[in-house]
Amino acid sequence: MSNFSSVYWTQFIAIALIGLGMVGFLIRRNAIVVLMSIELMLNGVNLLLIEAAHRSGSADGTMLVVFIITIAAGEVAVGLGILLNLYRIKHSSDTELYKELQG
Amino acid sequence: MDQFDFIVLAVKTLVILVLIIQVVPVMIYLERKIAALIQDRPGPNRVGPLGLLQPVADALKLLMKEDPVPSNVNKFLFQIAPFLAVMPACLSLAALPLGDFFEIGDRKYLLQIADLNVGLLYIFAIGSLGIYGTLFGGWASNNKFSLIGAMRSASQIVSYEIPLALGVTGAVMMYGTLSLREMVFKQSGLLLGVLPNWGVFYQPLGFLVFFVAAFAETNRLPFDLPETEAELVAGFHTEYGSMSFASFFMAEYMAMTTMSAVMTTVYFGGWQIPYLSDEALFSMIGSRNILALIQVAVFFTKVMVFMCIYVWVRWTLPRFRFDQLMKLSWGNLIPIGLINIVLTAIGLYFWDKR
Amino acid sequence: MTDGIFIAIGIFTLLCGSSVILCKSPVYSAFSLILSFFGLAGLYILLESPFIAVIQVLVYTGAIVVLFVYVVMLMNPNSSGAYRNWIFMIVSAFLAWAVSLYLLKALTLGVAPAVGGAHALSLKEVATLLFTKYLWPFEILSIFLVVMIVAVFALAKQSKETPNE
Repeated sequence: MSNFSSVYWTQFIAIALIGLGMVGFLIRRNAIVVLMSIELMLNGVNLLLIEAAHRSGSADGTMLVVFIITIAAGEVAVGLGILLNLYRIKHSSDTELYKELQG
Repeated sequence: MDQFDFIVLAVKTLVILVLIIQVVPVMIYLERKIAALIQDRPGPNRVGPLGLLQPVADALKLLMKEDPVPSNVNKFLFQIAPFLAVMPACLSLAALPLGDFFEIGDRKYLLQIADLNVGLLYIFAIGSLGIYGTLFGGWASNNKFSLIGAMRSASQIVSYEIPLALGVTGAVMMYGTLSLREMVFKQSGLLLGVLPNWGVFYQPLGFLVFFVAAFAETNRLPFDLPETEAELVAGFHTEYGSMSFASFFMAEYMAMTTMSAVMTTVYFGGWQIPYLSDEALFSMIGSRNILALIQVAVFFTKVMVFMCIYVWVRWTLPRFRFDQLMKLSWGNLIPIGLINIVLTAIGLYFWDKR
Repeated sequence: MTDGIFIAIGIFTLLCGSSVILCKSPVYSAFSLILSFFGLAGLYILLESPFIAVIQVLVYTGAIVVLFVYVVMLMNPNSSGAYRNWIFMIVSAFLAWAVSLYLLKALTLGVAPAVGGAHALSLKEVATLLFTKYLWPFEILSIFLVVMIVAVFALAKQSKETPNE
């Protein structure tokens, strides 16, 4: 599948995913959903990279995605660990209540 | 791929799926009979000769029963959870090689739904999805016991996926492929002239780790913490009845089948008969299609042996406590798996002239 | 036909993605996240990267979303007050629009036509590259993962000592 139209479609989907993740990151109050939105953005980037790797025939995009997925797994583990600690203090996952974090 | 190929593929998929689902009723009967044997009692013997129609009676009972939906549950997730449990169990069958190939006219068709070159990874990936049925089912039931069962299941399965993968990594390094089909081919012949050339003789440690982790992955005793009937009523499926319960039940047995099939394929030579190569057998019989049938029979025999071991272990060993379960995974299995990988790497460096 | 399937899976992915951010209950968000990751795996297969597709299912749906669902069930958050106020909505909509437009422009202007020799990266090639060209990133990544394990361990330990008010 190396026809031209699919290139645009992939990019459209990827960018839409990044945009969706961004909107979710900004409008949601629940900290868990905010983390999920970050994952959506990361996946949009992954899709762009895979598409670029597929189109150019070079391996760099694919390898980068392998690394990104590995780091994303760790990132989520740490992020959720922090969230659980915050939850133990505040008894809520509402980001509006985490005002002390503003420093 | 013309129309005929497509029809053959569709029929093949259907036949393999139905064939493997048949393991479930057989196992229901065998589980009861073996349990009876171990506990020194006759077991089911009223329905049909030797109680052979017991699974049919069980299935009829489950089908006839009312499927209640309790009032305070999350309806959508509650009803979709059994499907989430069964679907991955069915999907993971796609990569299992039941035999070499069969012939129609002069065309060859593999006895496998799809020969993926990432077959083993595919089975692990799909197998890890089975947990969502448990998780969502337990949460949507709106019941503390179910929720605790679901939580336990989540941490158990996430913990045991690591030893599962580590255990099989040694074998993958040895074979140099992830395609289950090629793995089977690499296990043909004899080892030192006496033993069949099976992976288990090269990878005893890896097999041990994989075997133990497979029990935990399928939520079987001694690791059935998500449904401990003594503490949690029935765990995540407390609120389920009728066919919804049967779906969870079926998913568990199909996951067991998949795990047994992976063990058979990776460590026990797949469809091959020990001391008798496919070609020798072919020259004796003279028909590829009969050979294929024999291969499928051999494969299922091996799988059933593992299923019986599952049952045997279930009725012999007591249940682990949850902290013991976690300690076993993180403290014992993962180090053993890592040691096995290092040993395999050293062995390959010195002896393998690939 | 492949194009049609591609577009259908893409639209499915986007619908599930939008339901992640629009569903009021975090459990439904997590559920949609699973579906949208599945859609992405399908897109990767159509882009001839089956390895990445399998890894996507294995790591994202098999591990990451399990963690999400686990934490959601542990916290059991109520779904009231799911969104921030309208200022955030307008700002986010504007930002997303601007960024998307910028990306779209940058990417479509720079799109090179497909090179003829594009091929799927086999598992062997990925493994070889990991231990040759990408050896240093790979090693740094392993250290990174160890640091993360230690960090999570510290977080879990610390929380036990915090008094529960």
